[in-house]
Amino acid sequence: MDYDPMVMDDAESLGPVVKISQADNVRVKFELSNADLSFANSLRRVMLAEIPTIAIDLVEIEENSSVLADEFIAHRLGLIPLNAEGAESLLYSRDCDCDNYCEHCSVKLVLHAKCTGGENMSISARDLVPAGDRMHQTLGMPVIRDEDGLGPLILKLRPGQEIKLECIAKKGIAKEHAKWAPSAAIGFEYDPHNKLHHIDYWYEQDPKTEWPPSEYVDWEEPPAEGEPFDYDAVPNRFYYNVETSGPLGPDGIVTEGIKVIQQKLAGLIHELTEGEGGDNYDGPRSPEYGGGGDGFGYSTSYGGNGGNQSAWGGAGGTTPFGQTPYGGGGNTWS
Amino acid sequence: MGANDDGFEALLEPFYNGKKLTDPISTKEDKYQLLPAFLKVKGLVKQHIDSYNYFVEEDIKKIVQSNRMIRSDQDPNFWIEITDIRVGMPTRDDANELRDAGKHVTPQECRLRDLNYSAPVFIDIAYPRDRMRVVRKNLALCRMPVMLKSSKCYLSGANNRKMQEMQECPLDPGGYFIVGGTEKVILIQEQLSKNRVIVEKDDKGVTASVTSSTHERKSKTYVALRKDRIVLQHNILMEPIPIIIVLKAFGGMSDYDIMELVAGGDTVYQDDLLMSFDEATKAGVYTQQQALEYIGLRVKMGGARKGRTFGGPRRNPIDDGLDALTNLIIAHITIKDSDFYPKAIYIAMMVRRVLMASHNEKLVDDRDFVGNKRLELAGQLLSLLFEDLFKGFVATLKQQMEYFFKRPNRTAAYDPTGSIGVNGRGITQGLTRAIQSGNWTVKRFGMARAGVTHVLSRLSYIAALGMMTRISSQFEKTRKVSGPRALQPSQWGMLCTSDTPEGEACGLVKNLALMTHITTEAGTDAVEELIPNLISGVERIQTQTGTEMHKEGSYIIHVNGTPYALTRRPEAFAKAFKQKRRSGCVSAFVGIHINQHFSAIHIATDEGRICRPYIIVTNGKSTLKAEHLRLLQLGKVGFEDFLRNGVIEYLDVNEENDALIAISEDDITPAHTHMEIEPFTILGAVAGLIPFPHHNQSPRNTYQCAMGKQAIGAIAYNQFNRIDTLLYTSLYPQRPMVITKTIQLIHYDKLPAGQNATVVVMSYSGYDIEDALVLNKASLDRGFGACQVFRKYSVEMQKYRSGRKDRLGGPMIGEDGKPIAKHRCLDKDGLAIVGSKICQGETMILRETPVDQEAHVDGSRGSDEYRPAPVNYRIADPAIIDKVMISDTERNSQIIKVQTRQTRRPELGDKFSSRHGQKGVVGTIVEHEDMPFSDTGLVPDIIMNPHGFPSRMTVGKLFECLTGKAAVVSGHRELGFGDAFRSHPVEEMGRTLIENGFEWGGKDYFTSGITGEPHEAYLFNGPIFYQRLKHMVQDKMHSRSRGPRAVLTRQPTEGRSRDGGLRLGEMERDCLIAYGASQLLLERLMISSDATQVDICEQCGQLGYKGYCQTCKGHGKVTKMTMPYAAKLLVQELISMNVGVRMQIEDKFPDPEPALPMRPKKSVHA
Repeated sequence: MDYDPMVMDDAESLGPVVKISQADNVRVKFELSNADLSFANSLRRVMLAEIPTIAIDLVEIEENSSVLADEFIAHRLGLIPLNAEGAESLLYSRDCDCDNYCEHCSVKLVLHAKCTGGENMSISARDLVPAGDRMHQTLGMPVIRDEDGLGPLILKLRPGQEIKLECIAKKGIAKEHAKWAPSAAIGFEYDPHNKLHHIDYWYEQDPKTEWPPSEYVDWEEPPAEGEPFDYDAVPNRFYYNVETSGPLGPDGIVTEGIKVIQQKLAGLIHELTEGEGGDNYDGPRSPEYGGGGDGFGYSTSYGGNGGNQSAWGGAGGTTPFGQTPYGGGGNTWS
Repeated sequence: MGANDDGFEALLEPFYNGKKLTDPISTKEDKYQLLPAFLKVKGLVKQHIDSYNYFVEEDIKKIVQSNRMIRSDQDPNFWIEITDIRVGMPTRDDANELRDAGKHVTPQECRLRDLNYSAPVFIDIAYPRDRMRVVRKNLALCRMPVMLKSSKCYLSGANNRKMQEMQECPLDPGGYFIVGGTEKVILIQEQLSKNRVIVEKDDKGVTASVTSSTHERKSKTYVALRKDRIVLQHNILMEPIPIIIVLKAFGGMSDYDIMELVAGGDTVYQDDLLMSFDEATKAGVYTQQQALEYIGLRVKMGGARKGRTFGGPRRNPIDDGLDALTNLIIAHITIKDSDFYPKAIYIAMMVRRVLMASHNEKLVDDRDFVGNKRLELAGQLLSLLFEDLFKGFVATLKQQMEYFFKRPNRTAAYDPTGSIGVNGRGITQGLTRAIQSGNWTVKRFGMARAGVTHVLSRLSYIAALGMMTRISSQFEKTRKVSGPRALQPSQWGMLCTSDTPEGEACGLVKNLALMTHITTEAGTDAVEELIPNLISGVERIQTQTGTEMHKEGSYIIHVNGTPYALTRRPEAFAKAFKQKRRSGCVSAFVGIHINQHFSAIHIATDEGRICRPYIIVTNGKSTLKAEHLRLLQLGKVGFEDFLRNGVIEYLDVNEENDALIAISEDDITPAHTHMEIEPFTILGAVAGLIPFPHHNQSPRNTYQCAMGKQAIGAIAYNQFNRIDTLLYTSLYPQRPMVITKTIQLIHYDKLPAGQNATVVVMSYSGYDIEDALVLNKASLDRGFGACQVFRKYSVEMQKYRSGRKDRLGGPMIGEDGKPIAKHRCLDKDGLAIVGSKICQGETMILRETPVDQEAHVDGSRGSDEYRPAPVNYRIADPAIIDKVMISDTERNSQIIKVQTRQTRRPELGDKFSSRHGQKGVVGTIVEHEDMPFSDTGLVPDIIMNPHGFPSRMTVGKLFECLTGKAAVVSGHRELGFGDAFRSHPVEEMGRTLIENGFEWGGKDYFTSGITGEPHEAYLFNGPIFYQRLKHMVQDKMHSRSRGPRAVLTRQPTEGRSRDGGLRLGEMERDCLIAYGASQLLLERLMISSDATQVDICEQCGQLGYKGYCQTCKGHGKVTKMTMPYAAKLLVQELISMNVGVRMQIEDKFPDPEPALPMRPKKSVHA
């Protein structure tokens, strides 16, 4: 991927600008400028809570002679990060036509282990084996990033104990349950020199020695000696530090986050302009009305919009109202 | 892990608690390492176990020894002698050799099968037959409940592997009993010391009293100063007896001798006593004979002497007096060869104490002084009970024997072996019943105590541990005296200063401190032998006159409170005695102290004294050297070796007063005699959980001591094998980030109850007022505070006299071929399926009971029908069947236990607390993205309102947070220590934080998750150990519109368990009255409660029936009205007591259509 910062002649006029300072497969640090605080925070919030990923949501236990209770194990399984790249191809289970779950809305993983040796046995995420028809080869595979390649520990078995279960991983967002969170921690700050006086240092003698400086002090000009306080200044440059917990790459989290915002905004715009076109009905409507397959649906708080590949975001990133200011989807980003 | 891993494996490792062998040892820093060594030997509940061991190994033999001979009154040639008694190892009562071959009963089996963990007791007897002495050995007498981890328990000395094989937790403290499957603790009982003189002063005057306790009886003797005259009082005496008469009755003393014995050469005391001499003269008592007669005439008949004079003629008063003096008054001084001098000395001493106290108020004793208290433990209590029961056994055995010999024609020689086991059952039952009910009745002492035993609380590991160190006091809880409740300076180091309940039992229920030891009886023989030979110039007291005793500079040596010898060199004597004790010639638990006020040396060997080890300091230097600690570290020596080598010794509370104890090595001066091993041991096990307790306001530590016992955590390693009535476990218990050495020593780090929450101290959302907490939803999703609740439902399949038994039925099948909804969870055998979800009203055990239960005399068969008697799940929230157990009890009936499990995540209103007495409920649960976050993206688990700090002054919590944060950010967990009374390394923590890029005070830059703007102020944050407490909304929430009513009053039932109504109480009623909301009042108190229609006769004012008045014999004047059923009931109940009640009715609003409810007017005619 090409992470070169966008080179634009007059970035000011064009809208938000992103400058990436560090990126690897766990975290990305970047600066977002030329945006306002509410937008910057929205992006942070969406990256924390509204990016659809997949996680184990249903566990069918056939045999469990371990010491841990069924729901205890199910809870632990749910928290195992699964690869969510390509999750957009999966339907939300509630939107799927099937009765319970199917390969269009879920990924099935099975776990079958029995301790036959004389020593206690550790069962880790590696032992989860995908089963059944799959639309995508990597989607729903446990994310394993430790050196031994084991992944998170699920439970331990004593000699003779056995565990046999089927896990159904479904798509969801972190607002519903934290297991669907793609990100671990998201660092976010602005104004490293406190020029805006949004914070009020408390110190005993000298704030310079008592407070560790922000890591972004070098990015911005320190206030000049005796510089008058600018009452009209608003925050403009925001520093993010996005760390992934595994399901998506750090870049994926950011792009997906933007995509979710776009969808939400598009949904909102659509709602506001509804009378001018689209549906005949222009009164207030409940979420059920908006659903269905027409694609112009109501966006639920869980980010679903009709389940289908939406008209906005996704591939094109074009709304009926022309190109969104935030880049033409994939073009500028990837 | 070592082969004999008893939880002290750290001691065996080359790295002892993080210290390498090559590290230098400083006696100043490392002396605390004696503490684990002490606990390794003594353990936390060693008091209980020591006391029980002493009982089953020694005391029980002594009891039998003193009751060994049973002689027949009918046949003087026949006797039974009980030569020996032994307690075996625990067995099943229903022992079956085939089944049990090689397998012994384990405590866990007893818990599960509702058995008693008890061992058979065997006796050896001898009796004559045909002029031969027949010896019968190993006759089973009874069964003795066995204390866990005592010498008679299979768990004693078991290593981890064995413990695991027995499904037992290696960290379990033991020291309790298992009776009927429940774990019972005999609490430590606090009492005033026995056989010691206590001088008290009240409005009436000064009184010296002594409670004499011997194996036979317990009685209290008073010597009191009443209106300048000294008298002796005792239960057996009808009236107080002038003291001179008593002293004269002992004989062998002239008036001068008596005067000298009491007052010595002191003229003030002599003058005081002269008044009492007049009393004797007035009563006409001059000689011993007269004195004995005087006393004998005032001895109550009956009572203790009833048995002995049974059937015999009334003896003359002189004999009565002599008998009273010999056996009843001050009974613990035994009379040998009719020598009353020791008793005279004792009474004279009491008189002298009274006189001294009347002149100098400071010489009055303090009954709250810990040195005047004795702690009674399980062993002693059992011994009292056993002796009583054994005496009863001997009596019935004798009765049966006499019955046999009374028979004119006997067919065979008498053989007592058969009746031993039968009569011994009484002992078994007596013991188990006492432990089960907690009612301790010892007939010969007239002792009847309730609440001696308690069910061991298994709410958390700490709750169980805390119970083992609990001391309950005999004081009445209702009495409003502050003395016994107050913290006593002499409690230092012996009893925990923080751990006491709030409310009515405050200060009366105490807890042992960490290093406290309670003595067992050491025996006086060795000491008595030693005293005359220790230094020169020690004379036996019997050979001395009063003149010599009370000479200036003479010190009386008392052994267990009884004058024994005389010396003029008290200091030299005490020094020599201590030397002997340090060298091991006398028991380490014998105490000696000098009382300068009374010129007395007291040597104590009795049981129940509280003592504690100290490091000996000589010539201003600690005897503990670095090489000692090195050897300890190498595991070459133990605590006992230090005790033997004079490095350490035990001091009891009295002896402490003679010692000057330094807290640390730096404080030592040449005057010091001892040094503390570790100051934090003045706290107990439960208070030891608190980090930095010395920075908290003291009541906060007390609150935490109460709450630590309610925290949900790991119970024991065998928690999933247990089936308890109610069991709470935590899904993810964590070792606290900031621990104390006590935590390591009691293994709380292995069985913790709480989690390290990242806490930010700020105000958020307004749902955090009044100590409410704000929780992060994502944290809850990830398992923060999640817990499991296990409940037991148990049923015993009864057998009936008709020969039928309860049985299990199959589920009822509905029309669709599936079981009916109520039986959804049942398997074919009528028991719930493990793993199935059970909802309210569904059946777990489908028991069926025979209709025909009574025995049939005529041999006919009753009905073959069974009616269902199922056990249903009654709780509103569903649960999952966790276990089903089927077994047999000792009564050979089947027992079925079903355990249900609920997994709960914290919800609004659940209770949490930190370790600093700061409890709070969940006020709101907030989405992750709305939570404040630091510049690194850190989001708190808990937001706590800062208003919790100023008034509570829990600085320790701030320190915990800071210390924990420093340990976390640096990755060095050895930083996380918060021991009491150690200097707090706040500066070091600040430095660590700065080194890791944090602010030194623990505050950080936080941004609002809602707006994205930074919080103006920096926020104090860090990990704080939070405990989830057992109080959960799910178990408490309750509402009702309509519902069940009580049968008697027809008012709504009370309480959640009965789906009761919410009471509109007196105070609420007062408000409504004051406001004048009469209709609301009427509705709440009558219409919505127990309104009922009654017929009242306007003519006679009595209740009618169906429009007819029984009294007036007519329908004419009977009207209907509404009134509370309770009022109607009252009227009827009064009538039943012959109190006539008439109700006069009048129309307040004479409308054509009167309103329905009318106020009845009542007038009562007696």
